[in-house]
Amino acid sequence: MLDRKLTFISGKGGVGKSAVTASLALLAARRGSKVLVVGMVEGIGAASHLGTRELAYAPRRIRSGIDALAVNRTDALDEYFRLQLHVPRAAPTKVLSRALSVLAETAPGVREIVTIGKPVFELWQANYDLVLVDAPPLGQLFSYLRAPNTIAELVPAGPIRNQAGRMRKALLDLGTTSLILVTTPDELPVLETKEAINELIAEPVIDLAGVVTNRVLPPLGLSEDGIATLPQGSHRDAAEHHHAVQAHQETWLPQVSAGPRLPYLFGLHTAGEVAEQLADIWDELI
Amino acid sequence: MSTGVLVITGAGGVGKTTLSAALAVTAARRGLRTCVITVDPARRLADALGIDSLGNHPTEVGEQPGLAAAMLDVTASWEAMVHRHADPETAERLLADPFFRALADRFPAAQAYAAGEQMAEHIESHRWDLLVVDTPPAGGGLDFYTAPGRMKEVIGGRLLRWLTGASIPGRRALYKVTARPALKLADTVLGGPLLEEIAVFLMDLRSLYDGLSRRASAIELHLQRATSIVVATAEPTPLREARRFFEELEATAGRPETVVFNKQLPAGWTDTTSLRSPDLAQDVRLAARENLSNWASEVRRQHDVKQEFAARYKLNLVDVPWAEDAPTSVDALADLVAGSVDLLRHLPTAT
Repeated sequence: MLDRKLTFISGKGGVGKSAVTASLALLAARRGSKVLVVGMVEGIGAASHLGTRELAYAPRRIRSGIDALAVNRTDALDEYFRLQLHVPRAAPTKVLSRALSVLAETAPGVREIVTIGKPVFELWQANYDLVLVDAPPLGQLFSYLRAPNTIAELVPAGPIRNQAGRMRKALLDLGTTSLILVTTPDELPVLETKEAINELIAEPVIDLAGVVTNRVLPPLGLSEDGIATLPQGSHRDAAEHHHAVQAHQETWLPQVSAGPRLPYLFGLHTAGEVAEQLADIWDELI
Repeated sequence: MSTGVLVITGAGGVGKTTLSAALAVTAARRGLRTCVITVDPARRLADALGIDSLGNHPTEVGEQPGLAAAMLDVTASWEAMVHRHADPETAERLLADPFFRALADRFPAAQAYAAGEQMAEHIESHRWDLLVVDTPPAGGGLDFYTAPGRMKEVIGGRLLRWLTGASIPGRRALYKVTARPALKLADTVLGGPLLEEIAVFLMDLRSLYDGLSRRASAIELHLQRATSIVVATAEPTPLREARRFFEELEATAGRPETVVFNKQLPAGWTDTTSLRSPDLAQDVRLAARENLSNWASEVRRQHDVKQEFAARYKLNLVDVPWAEDAPTSVDALADLVAGSVDLLRHLPTAT
């Protein structure tokens, strides 16, 4: 799961992508890797699971072995223009950069390639052993991953097209780049995950490293007969609840490939606690 | 007929659409002529409402007299807006333009704006006592409130003014990038007649300005008058999104006073005394103790985060209980909110 230098983590909103991203970062750092966590999502995302509230566009050390940054469009556009686009030196810089911001607001694919360009750029910079991306949720993921192709349809030649070509190659490089999808054993997340896998088969824009199933309930340890011996009241209700949810999960679990399963974590108050516990679990899994 | 409006907002996956439908069913049962606009409902919920495909035109719900339901069709909404506000020739050109399709299909605010547009349409039709609006999840629900303003900005010509210089030409035929050497050069470097294409597109889009901006302002007004309810669950992501919603929503935008926590477990589960009962068989006690104590601590955690949230943003707190199965009938929808009295008091009373 962690053998590619650039790994995107996505899934339906609310399945725990950010927590999984943070826990993988903790695991890799514990094992001695130098890790960069890139937040591509709105809001604080994975960083809140790593004990920080503020992130900047420049990588910042947030704990031993882990740096983090958050992509914002203004800075990303600026960096894309200055460092990625390779425009001729004689070009009118001011007009061009303003033109780009117009493009980013109107032309399909431009805003997306600028945003997804940041983690790829960090891969090219090669300052880290591992770049983990807290990626946009499934609904938006493909408009980002397909951005290089969208640009190729729109722009016939020139620096934007060339940069898109380099991005496309980097995203498709099986040795360095992969995508991990996170789901929970519920109807909608499983169906959307299967849909995403089919889209990746139809249009392979990135290599799928695997599907992680999050929030899997442990067995209750009581049969239905056992539950019936519990006194009437809250415990019997809770046991019946557990039994029902678990039975529901059992019907959805086999629908996704047999990737790693992470347990439901009970009663944890902070995002940091969740990530630490998940990292402990990963340590035994991989 | 004056229409009461209930806007149900919140992050993705918290059950907004289901709760919208449940409230609409309940209102119809109280004798209100009710319409619910849903966004991307799950298959079984759509089946329960008897709607089988995208469509802005509401269909009567066969199982529930007095209730009609629609499923937001973003593309159709935009097409209708263009036809309404532009002359036929411009409309045709816009609808075929790749930039327009990108704007309507991909811009998250485009979906949010379309939902607002449909809301205004239904309010102004005066056909309903109550309109229940399920909102797109983009921006944790915020986009729905900010979309009218952003739409005015894009169409209002901020970008266009830059592309064309200070004045905006009256007719699109008058505009040529070649007349602006710096832009011509930019186009050459960027690799296509992009800027010229965008300028022509923006000029066409601008012909929608008067109609669309008037509508956008009307939507903003409707939003201020509506009753908004935020839906969340006690899970970290929905809570984070709900926090962002309240931190970033401007005070003027029709700020919600009620937060609904959906899928909640019974508060009584925190009591673990009966697990120590000597009547309980040893093996049962051992087998169940860990998991049942886990549920107790989970319920305690949910209770704590909900109270903190409601106190911080001064909100009324409503619980909707966890349901084992997603509702597949109008009866099940009504049952879902039947016990949530503080939620149901937001429904207008039938006259």
